[in-house]
Amino acid sequence: MTTAQGRTGRRAGPGRAPQTEIVVDGDSVQAVDGISLAAVLVGERRWSLRRNPVGGDLRGPFCGMGVCFECEVTVDGRPGVRACITKIYAGMRVETATEGEAPHDR
Amino acid sequence: MTAEHSAATYGEVVERDVVIVGGGPAGLSAAARLASAGLAVTILDEQPELGGQYYRRPAPAVARQWGDHRPEGGRLIAQVRAAGAECRTGHLVWGVEDDGRTLLASDDAEHPVRLRARYLVLATGAFERVFPFPGWQLPGVTTPGFAQHLAASDHTTVGDRVVLAGSGPFLLPVACSLIELGVSVAGIAEAGRPYRPSLRALGTLGHPARLRELASYAARLARARVPIWQETVVLRADGRDRVSSVTLAAAARPARPVRTVEVDALCVGYGFRPQTDLARMLGCQVRVDVASGDAVPVTGAAGRASRADVYVVGEAAGIGGVHAAKARGLAAAHDILTREGRSAVPVSEARRMMSARRRLARFTALTDSLYPGPAALLATLAPALPADTVVCRCEAVRAEEIRTTAAGSADGDLNATKAWTRAGMGPCQGRECGFAVAGLVRSVMPGRGVGDGESRVEIFPSRLPVRPVPLATLLELAGPESQKGDA
Repeated sequence: MTTAQGRTGRRAGPGRAPQTEIVVDGDSVQAVDGISLAAVLVGERRWSLRRNPVGGDLRGPFCGMGVCFECEVTVDGRPGVRACITKIYAGMRVETATEGEAPHDR
Repeated sequence: MTAEHSAATYGEVVERDVVIVGGGPAGLSAAARLASAGLAVTILDEQPELGGQYYRRPAPAVARQWGDHRPEGGRLIAQVRAAGAECRTGHLVWGVEDDGRTLLASDDAEHPVRLRARYLVLATGAFERVFPFPGWQLPGVTTPGFAQHLAASDHTTVGDRVVLAGSGPFLLPVACSLIELGVSVAGIAEAGRPYRPSLRALGTLGHPARLRELASYAARLARARVPIWQETVVLRADGRDRVSSVTLAAAARPARPVRTVEVDALCVGYGFRPQTDLARMLGCQVRVDVASGDAVPVTGAAGRASRADVYVVGEAAGIGGVHAAKARGLAAAHDILTREGRSAVPVSEARRMMSARRRLARFTALTDSLYPGPAALLATLAPALPADTVVCRCEAVRAEEIRTTAAGSADGDLNATKAWTRAGMGPCQGRECGFAVAGLVRSVMPGRGVGDGESRVEIFPSRLPVRPVPLATLLELAGPESQKGDA
């Protein structure tokens, strides 16, 4: 099983960082309080966050600093939120946009 | 109601002595000094916390559990707040009003904010220089900076088995951060050949501390038996919906595979490029840096731009590292205070600052000389890029289309190539592909290039908005007339 918790602080010292629960595409996900949403998703190895509007291929976080817009997801109904510069909070609802047409050129 | 009236009514206008854009090392250093001298200072940053990329703050829970990787950043931020600077985080500065001095921003709830100041300090930082290769758009391929942020701020691993590639000293600390989290770093592919015994000899030229830092990274990597493949570049990444392997090639023969490595993440970057869009939008003069091909604002000793009320500091003024960024921020602050008659900087302090900045400039030149110059690298890599490589990630434009257009209807003009192909017209506004598109255009029309003159800046022009702005922000800024649709 891969969980965000499993990927964060696996080799950490004693104790456990406080956790927050968010909802990603309907799944409940536990992660360390206040880390970036991109970290939660990548920590869970959920890499595909959207489809490219032109080619339809899957995309995931790339630059990690708000420049490339590849990590855009919908947060609490608000579309186009960059996961890399957004911190998680309890009850946050996240929707990725990976459904739909598969790329035709691969 | 006239348009001007509605614009003034809708969207708060903040009037300050100094507005600083960017809360990284340079902006924070300037803010602390200016605010403590009693000026009304506002510092804006797009991110939810101050710190910029270098001093990006770990989440409090991460810092408590695993420590703060750069506590000096936290101290500097606390100093800025204590000095009374107004800190507006979550604020995206996306444009400039027609008066050429009012900044247009949107706040963390996407409401418009307008700011005016007697002095503008642009500390907009840098972004990573990337170069495309087949498969670079696959999920799991990222910049080294992303891996570093995940490790340092979020204590999260980018993958279980990772290859780092590109060029420059930054790849070493990123590899060390990953190893510390238990990641298997399969290797580092460096396009140049900087690591050899003569590094030590070069290193004694008055920068022992900085080179010790580099040497300590190298020692940690050697202990962890991480191979460093020099003069090696990425040929392609493969995988179905996610990267699963990377194939490397010799930099001198970038089309011939030498090694394939299985990975679940691949991080590629070639150093950093100054983020100058806001400076250019404000009409500040820029020049071409021949070694990198980047546009760099023309500034005086204290960071004063071609416009007397605008300062450009930190990495936005040219890549120089954190120490140079802080020195530049401080120099701008002192210049403003001197112009304000607030405090004459003591001669000894000014001298110390000048000599520190000269030393830092020498160190930057030394480091730069170890690694291949970006413009030279581009000249090697661009012609070898396979025809069907997606170059513009946003608009999915391939290398062949760019080459054909550049050699044909665009007649070697970078912006015409952009207009014809749409390369660089997506939400990232060419920040990711611009370097490569310029290289492709030049490779098919070699007569045109960087260094032809100060006026020939081979980068995409700055456009308003500098970042995509929510439609709601624009509508609110325009007032109720536009929302009714009959203005």
